[in-house]
Amino acid sequence: MLVELKVNGEKRSADVPPETTLLKFLREYLDLTGAKLGCDVGDCGTCTVIVDGISVNSCIMLAAKANGSEVTTIEGLATTSELHPLQKSFEELGALQCGFCGTGMLMSAKQLLDENPDPTDFEIRDALAGNLCRCTGYTKIIEAIKDAAKNMRAA
Amino acid sequence: MATKPTQDLDQKTLVIEDTESALNAPVRVKEAHPIIYPLSLPETEERKATPAVGQSASRPDARLHGLGQTKYIDDIKFPNMIYAKVLRSAKAHAKIISIDTSEAEAMPGVYATLTGKEIPTNTFGPTFQDQPVLSDTVVRHRGDGVAAVAAVSEQVAQEALKKIKVVYEDLPVILDPEEALKDEVLIHPPKSNIYTSKVIKKGDVEKGLAESDHIFTNRYKTQFQEHVPIEPHASIALWDGNGRVTLWSSLGRITLGREDMSRTLNLPQSKIRMIGTIVGGNFGGKNEITNEPILALLSKKTGRPVKCTYTREDEFVSSTIRHPFIMDFTTGVNKEGKILARKIKMILDGGAYCSWTGTTIGKGSILAAGPYNIDNLHVESYAVYTNKTTTGAMRGFGAPQVCFAYESQMDEIAKTLGIDPLEIRLRNAFREGSLSPTSQTLHSVVVEESLLQAAEAFGWNRS
Amino acid sequence: MKKTGKGIACMWYPIGFTVMANPSAATVKVNTDGTATLLTGTVETGQGALTVLGQIAAETLGIATDDVHVVSGDTDTTPMDTGAIASRTTYVTGNAIVRAAEAARQILFEAAAPLLNVKPDQLEARDKKIQVLGFPSRFLPISKVAQHAETNVGKPAIGSSSYNPPTVEMDPETGQGKPFNTYVYATQIAEVEVDDETGEVVVKRIVAVHDCGQPINPMLVEGQIQGGISMGVGYALQEEILFDSQGKQINPNLTNYIMPTSLDMPELDVQLVDNYDPTGPHGAKGVGEPTAVPTAAAIMNAIYDAVGVRITTLPATAEKVMTAILEKNAQEA
Repeated sequence: MLVELKVNGEKRSADVPPETTLLKFLREYLDLTGAKLGCDVGDCGTCTVIVDGISVNSCIMLAAKANGSEVTTIEGLATTSELHPLQKSFEELGALQCGFCGTGMLMSAKQLLDENPDPTDFEIRDALAGNLCRCTGYTKIIEAIKDAAKNMRAA
Repeated sequence: MATKPTQDLDQKTLVIEDTESALNAPVRVKEAHPIIYPLSLPETEERKATPAVGQSASRPDARLHGLGQTKYIDDIKFPNMIYAKVLRSAKAHAKIISIDTSEAEAMPGVYATLTGKEIPTNTFGPTFQDQPVLSDTVVRHRGDGVAAVAAVSEQVAQEALKKIKVVYEDLPVILDPEEALKDEVLIHPPKSNIYTSKVIKKGDVEKGLAESDHIFTNRYKTQFQEHVPIEPHASIALWDGNGRVTLWSSLGRITLGREDMSRTLNLPQSKIRMIGTIVGGNFGGKNEITNEPILALLSKKTGRPVKCTYTREDEFVSSTIRHPFIMDFTTGVNKEGKILARKIKMILDGGAYCSWTGTTIGKGSILAAGPYNIDNLHVESYAVYTNKTTTGAMRGFGAPQVCFAYESQMDEIAKTLGIDPLEIRLRNAFREGSLSPTSQTLHSVVVEESLLQAAEAFGWNRS
Repeated sequence: MKKTGKGIACMWYPIGFTVMANPSAATVKVNTDGTATLLTGTVETGQGALTVLGQIAAETLGIATDDVHVVSGDTDTTPMDTGAIASRTTYVTGNAIVRAAEAARQILFEAAAPLLNVKPDQLEARDKKIQVLGFPSRFLPISKVAQHAETNVGKPAIGSSSYNPPTVEMDPETGQGKPFNTYVYATQIAEVEVDDETGEVVVKRIVAVHDCGQPINPMLVEGQIQGGISMGVGYALQEEILFDSQGKQINPNLTNYIMPTSLDMPELDVQLVDNYDPTGPHGAKGVGEPTAVPTAAAIMNAIYDAVGVRITTLPATAEKVMTAILEKNAQEA
């Protein structure tokens, strides 16, 4: 079946089997491999993308369900001249170690800051609760989000 | 089959003024256009500074992680690539009577199957080679691979696994390590289930205990823990026209991985290339080959690149996990809390295969007495086979287990003698030049410093 | 009622393989503009090894971290390495890199010496210069020397070497020997809050003081310690693989295998002990595994301080703690 949606501002479409998940659609049909497959059942958050303003586990969402929606993936954060403030803070403060949970974390963080530009420590932890990380212990990730939020408010 | 994805060309803006400037001016894309990346960014101070040691330099690979540009194995695609999945054992301990892959092979979309008989040398293991690549005579835990399928998609491969018929003959299942010690049912006959042991002896522990004012006897037990690397194990195998095989693998040690491949495939090392890309977390669980030989052979059979990624369930059931320890500590101290003698007996649940148990039992035994000056010591450890998931290398190799035991007992001793927990440790801790349990002279020792620094930072008031 | 408690645990941990040889080899190539390439057979598993190893090479050559490009993980093009295990990368691979960089640097010293009118052993590499020891105003930029070495002298500045920690085998009956060349030490102190009506344990704060010799990259060391502590918290309170009577895992998924999320992490105060190990590359040791070692012990000791119960089997789930509290209350009654 034909699925048409906007990814990072661009209209994209592909003809896919109806059971195709949004994650598979992005990774295999659109070659956007930023979102990762960690568990395929919505437990780990490595597949997090933003659909119509809400962060979702794309491994448990059918691509068909996203038909007509606006999807933002990690590939849509940077521009030719600069990194997104979140990407900059994550890199500078050492919040990315193996990086596998990173793209999911960044998308959850983006969605949080889009809605709440000045989150408390608890609000940040709560927003990340669905993204598992084994390398960092989350500490530097939370610091980086606070840092990016501060920079975004100042801009 | 899907058609090629389409793109709306109106979204991209190409600005070309006239023919001449078109030849000179670069093609410009709107700045806000996504799916692109910044090519020149100011580098941080730390990366530009000399001297380099001590700089909190940011990582160039972290930049790529943040952009989503890092290519992990699962992100890599080759033309004509197919996908493999491995069938796991349905039994914890059984003889394999027969494996019938014919129905799976007949499925549309399936390119090839593989069983253990087709593997030139069907054993591997970092310490000794007691583990089959694919079980063909006996399965010893539910994570044992029994057969593999390569198909046009992961879905078809997964479906094809269900069509493989395996006939098992049950063998008694041994789950309790203390039961396994009795050797009533052998898991790797004719070997005893006790497959490795370690002894460390120093001074005269019985004399030391006899001279002690107090003796403490405690038992501590720890559980199975899984690494949970966020990236599951993944590998890709492909050959070239010169009979050279390349493996892309999430393995943490490619030099030894290539040796393992050479051994299992009976191929010279010069015909094997192993590439380790950026790995999404290892923690000890990606330190031995898993399905690389299987993929190489499936790729050879089908003439196509073959990729296999572990499912999250495979990670738990088939990749290695941390050894549970049963630890008996008997410690003799004087009135001031100084340890005079320590006797330790440990049983490691060694899982179905040896894997990195040799290292775990060695390190665990050496570290078991703690960072303390003890003249009279006796440590005895045993690792036994059980019909559970293979226990292997995991961050610490036995150290978290023994630390839990020796530090818990230290607090018991402190409480009974009415000595502050920080104080009792200071009285026993290694110093520069102290002798270890193996009589090695230790240098660069900072136990005391770390205790005092931590206590100050915490605000620990000695009682 | 919530009761607080504090617990302390210290530990020691070795670097490298137990007695067995575990060598690493490395190649350093200095380019004609004074930047360099490092070839190492190790694999980046997320800890930042490649950045740290690049810093070690840069330090020996007197250039900046950004000047070194690190190539890794390909048996066709990079030299052998025993692998990213046993916290050995910074120490063993690092030492191999120091030796390889020194070999490349020696070629630069020999090319520069006649130009600077001194002997090669009077030179040092610092701040992107090859300069005279004790008389730094006489120097040449490293780029000039590298260019000169390759195109005039005809000797490109390339060095290869390997390193293996010296050990002594352990006696099979007594275990006496020298299994490792160096060890690291650490202390962690945990503050917990235990609810004595549910047995639930919350770790409020952990102070971790670790030894890693000279830290090559303090930010990355801190990241390792924080990550290790999160594994330790999971080991202490949540994680457990359970088997049924037929040897089948009951919880082989992330819904039922509980591990720490962002909501489970305590406040962390991570510090390093000031130390320098002369046997390590520029004084460094290692840090990968020691980070996960004392956490569970510190938390168990803190639980005892809070509610007076000794948990002797991990993990200390709420059920276990509650059962122990009830047993204690019954005994005291």
